[in-house]
Amino acid sequence: MLTITDLSVNYGAVQALSSVSIEVPKGEVTAVIGANGAGKSTLMRTLSGLVKPGSGGATVGGVTITGRKPEDIVRLGVSLVPEGRSTIPELTVEENLRLGGLWRDKAERNSTHAQVFDLFPVLAQRRKMRADTLSGGERQQLAIGRALMSDPRVLLLDEPSLGLAPLIVTQILELVSRLARESDLAVLLVEQNAVTALRVATTGVVLNLGKVVMVGSGAEIASDEQLRQAYLGY
Amino acid sequence: MTTFIDYLLGGLGSGAIIALMALALVLIWRSTRVVNFAQVGQAMFTTFIALSIQTWTGSWYVALIGALAAGAVLGVIVQYLVLRPVKRSDTSGAIIATFGVLIALQAAAGMIWPGGSQAFPQPFNNSGIEFAGRVWPISIYDFVVIGITALLVLGLTLLFTKTSLGLSMRAAAFNPEVARLSGVRVSRVLTFGWALAGSVGAVAGVLVAPVSTISPNSFDILLVFAFVAAVIGGLDSLIGAISIGVFTGLVISLVSGYSDSGNAPVVALLLLALNLILKPEGIFSHHKARSV
Repeated sequence: MLTITDLSVNYGAVQALSSVSIEVPKGEVTAVIGANGAGKSTLMRTLSGLVKPGSGGATVGGVTITGRKPEDIVRLGVSLVPEGRSTIPELTVEENLRLGGLWRDKAERNSTHAQVFDLFPVLAQRRKMRADTLSGGERQQLAIGRALMSDPRVLLLDEPSLGLAPLIVTQILELVSRLARESDLAVLLVEQNAVTALRVATTGVVLNLGKVVMVGSGAEIASDEQLRQAYLGY
Repeated sequence: MTTFIDYLLGGLGSGAIIALMALALVLIWRSTRVVNFAQVGQAMFTTFIALSIQTWTGSWYVALIGALAAGAVLGVIVQYLVLRPVKRSDTSGAIIATFGVLIALQAAAGMIWPGGSQAFPQPFNNSGIEFAGRVWPISIYDFVVIGITALLVLGLTLLFTKTSLGLSMRAAAFNPEVARLSGVRVSRVLTFGWALAGSVGAVAGVLVAPVSTISPNSFDILLVFAFVAAVIGGLDSLIGAISIGVFTGLVISLVSGYSDSGNAPVVALLLLALNLILKPEGIFSHHKARSV
């Protein structure tokens, strides 16, 4: 579904990504893991249009997305849940969700809205409350819900575990992998927390200093002692 | 006591106008973090246009609508020509640029409409209403001013709370990145904000002109009062701009009544200083602190 080919990104003289190629099939979670500074967030920001690629690119269903503006990329079916504060605290839960699909046809938008509430019942309960009254886990659900409001074909998740309790991380990631299977969604998950990420991912990609150093099944990577010590640091 | 109430009533109309101008400042600040000091220059310019329209057509309503449209167009022009080229991160550069626009607009107005101060025709009776055996210091025109202000505030409230465009504008103001990732065309939304603020300021200009006169510099003092009201209100709060705007009008009226109208700007600046010492983030702000 999402095909990344020879993607390179430079920040000035620093090469953040060099010739990265990853295939993200639909119906599965593909996890990109690696230490701090491996280029994971740069990858996500480039795919969503916030950062311009140096060379190479990415396509979704054959359409090139790289080099376009974020507001156009989301219309092509690629939705990013950015790292950290990705909800708007001053807006209500309902408004944050509505924001995710404002450009869509009203009837379609309302049906997605209902689906998101089914998926995250707690958001339906708190719809009138400001987003900053939610707990960390609820806020991450809201951020994912907002991204789903555009009815994406590709969901990009940047460090969803950041600052959340392990149990909540597991719940959220299991929900995401079920969503991938049931809605035929291609999920690209970026995580520093490799153990958790590899548990739900069909395929794992290890990124180190902007390069892909290994691609394999989640189990393969999790059991590769050398790799773990060299790149993942645990 | 009656004198006190008279002074308060007398300040309502000007309070409404200050509130509108403060509202225009807040609309821009919320979305760009820039105080648009050119706002009164834009309002002055569009009020001159309104005066020309009034002279041609003889209709105050046509002049008001003309100012509304001209204000929107001028707002967009100012954003495109001046603010876009200034780097997004460089807010002090942008603020200085707005001063440049103010000076340019005043100079241009002086050339286009020479001859100094001009009177703006009174659209409604502006003498005090006679009621219950006495003349009150509030006129039909004051009621028109307050009514138009209330209508605008109501319209803006509905826009921001009930419409998709309003939600896009708020999202773009709070977090442009998340707004873009959600599909909001942020630069278009910002441009609409400049048009909207331009129109609100233009209405303030047309409303204040009949009770003062119109010259390239005649709204400078309005900028002082509106700026004070906007800052005390918290700069990002529409409710703050409106309520502190009206409050400022009342204070000015009391100061002018009990002492001299020349003291009003001094008192306004004292209020501002007091606010910055006691509650620098403003009374209605969404944010906890603000650097000044």
